[in-house]
Amino acid sequence: MPRARRRANRFSRRVFIHRLAFLGGGVVLIGPACKRDSSPAASTPDAAATASPYRTFTEPEFAILSAACERIIPRDEDPGAIDAQVPQYIDLMLQTKELRKAKAEFVPGVLALNRRSRRRFGKDFVEITDDQRDEVLNQFKDSPSGSAEAHFFELLMVFTLEGLLGDPSYGGNKDRVGWALVGFGTSEPPPAYDGTRHLHAHGAH
Amino acid sequence: MALQLARAGFKVALLEKGAHYQREDFVHDEILNSRRNFFMPLPWDEPHLVRQGPNGKYSRTNSAWTANCVGGGTVHMSGYFYRLKPIDFRMRSELGPVAGANVADWPIRYEELAPFYDMAEEELGVSGAVIPHPFAEPRSKPYPLPPLDAHPICKQLDIACRKLGYHPLPTARGIISRAYRDRSACAYCALCSYGCEVGAKSGTNSSLIPAALATGNVDLRPRSMARSIEVDDDGQAKSVVYLDAQGVAREQPAKIIVISCTAVESARLLLNSTSSKFPNGLANNNGLVGQNLMFSSFGEARATFRVSKRKQSWPWLDDPAPFVQRSLQDFYVMPDGRHGFRKGGTLGFMWTHPNPIFAAVRLAGSGSSGVFGKTLKDRLREYRDSRILQFEIYGEFLPTAGTYLTVDNSVKDVYGIPVAAITVGRHPTDFKMTKFLVERGEDVLKALHPDGLERVTTGGETTILQHGTCRFGNDPATSVLDKNCRAHEVPNLYVVDGSFMPSSGGVPTTLTIVANAFRVGQALAQTMKRGG
Repeated sequence: MPRARRRANRFSRRVFIHRLAFLGGGVVLIGPACKRDSSPAASTPDAAATASPYRTFTEPEFAILSAACERIIPRDEDPGAIDAQVPQYIDLMLQTKELRKAKAEFVPGVLALNRRSRRRFGKDFVEITDDQRDEVLNQFKDSPSGSAEAHFFELLMVFTLEGLLGDPSYGGNKDRVGWALVGFGTSEPPPAYDGTRHLHAHGAH
Repeated sequence: MALQLARAGFKVALLEKGAHYQREDFVHDEILNSRRNFFMPLPWDEPHLVRQGPNGKYSRTNSAWTANCVGGGTVHMSGYFYRLKPIDFRMRSELGPVAGANVADWPIRYEELAPFYDMAEEELGVSGAVIPHPFAEPRSKPYPLPPLDAHPICKQLDIACRKLGYHPLPTARGIISRAYRDRSACAYCALCSYGCEVGAKSGTNSSLIPAALATGNVDLRPRSMARSIEVDDDGQAKSVVYLDAQGVAREQPAKIIVISCTAVESARLLLNSTSSKFPNGLANNNGLVGQNLMFSSFGEARATFRVSKRKQSWPWLDDPAPFVQRSLQDFYVMPDGRHGFRKGGTLGFMWTHPNPIFAAVRLAGSGSSGVFGKTLKDRLREYRDSRILQFEIYGEFLPTAGTYLTVDNSVKDVYGIPVAAITVGRHPTDFKMTKFLVERGEDVLKALHPDGLERVTTGGETTILQHGTCRFGNDPATSVLDKNCRAHEVPNLYVVDGSFMPSSGGVPTTLTIVANAFRVGQALAQTMKRGG
């Protein structure tokens, strides 16, 4: 199978790095919002062809993603990423118009994790131990800045933390466990708030 | 400007490239407000090109954008409202030239702007207390509103500052501490950098713009992206060509045209407005539009205090009060050059921002020093047990030939307009000055005996504070605008954002920009009434 490659597009490597800095930065921003189309994202789920219950990922992909997120934020005396429904957040958020480009980079990265696992340990990512998964993730994390692996790891980290600590209406931070972990609770949106709807209402500039 | 002209009975068309957010659009949702394009455009849709030095490679960023919406940067500012001081208007005369920098006096003095600072504070709604200190600028009246409540740690901060011989000041805020002019008082939610759903933050969207609309003389058009300013055969500005919400090009004729898009975007608009009379861009026959671009010199350090360790000594530490509200201006101007600089700036103390995703991403780090798993969770739990006090520096950013703006015709945004291309070349004195101020701030934090102290930077720039690209002055050979912010070369064109400033000041300049707009607006309304 071919190595994971970022899809060729009109942006340079430098732009990817800057775009990522914005994802993780304090202000802004992800994904283009077409000025003329203000309707909510109605993109066909990528997984539809294989009848996956998920919007972006096939079931095997979702399993790899879940295992990876759970290594980033494992359950210990406090809930972990799976408890917080972080993988569900990522699956939904990658369907938004704003993240179309991020999705094109992220899904291949999930598959790349699995390929690395098979090459290193002869087994799928979901079959290896936690320590072995950490080894694979560390390799990605420590890859040269600007590499596809380092870039994917940063996306994984950022989306996991958004899923852990974002408003629950986006699908993660289930029962506000993420906010409880970091002690944030002073000014949440009202209970009926729907973040995804607001995101689409304000996407166009 | 729109408010004053509308009150004087003139008809004003107000074009804004972004949306007109209402209070119900401002929700406490970090993903919406701080991590998507609610305020700033996306770097691949509407990039600013930025390079370090003329030989650097441009990268596409969203640096140097402020909020794109009605009210602009004042919608998501934190509202630190300081005035400039008399010396800022006379940097060249009082401190002398700086080799390698284009230091210049302003063509007006502080005293001419002071009544408009009063007006701006009153019209916007500013809360503060006047305290005498070595660098206090003259004031004729107190703040219109009393100070906001401050966290108990400010008492410790005051003690620490005074022990070091400094003069802690309460930071004036563009946030109303009491009900004011039909607006509700601050609800102390700690999320000032979001839009304020209560209307207590004194962005122009909650104060000046509603008042302007209430006159019936203002036609506000959001989602209207100005593309160029057209001139007639006599070289007078005659209209603004803009793209409406559907992307259709429209032309709005006008007798007077005022631009206020931020120093970067106003210069970009002028440079993109070429004609046979102005081949280098409107009002740019002397080549100065885009020159002398200045941001603000930035430094930061932060001190961590562990709540569980201080239950006896500091039982008030986890009081949720969001505001610390202390500043130091003891280093606004140094008495001599022994530390390598004369003009310094302001230190503002505050709690770190409560955005949890932002804090967590920072704690995770990246690359070989980044962490995940239990290590990351431990850091998040420590963060839960911490209160983090930081200071920011607002330092003088010297104008030089090295920092400037042009437009790049080969790179266009989603509107098809050539984008701003920024070159940053800092003066070395900026860094000496910022480092010195950061060290003094760290002395204060150390005097509080924190559980951790981290220096964040001594060499940054705050790009949302931007100035200089259409410098005002009396001499048309060395300035773009006259003392009334009217273009020397185009008698019916005005620029009223931070572009006009010949120096960046040692404070955030938001209040100054509003005060100047009131000053220019008053003079323009009088001129127009006289039929000029």
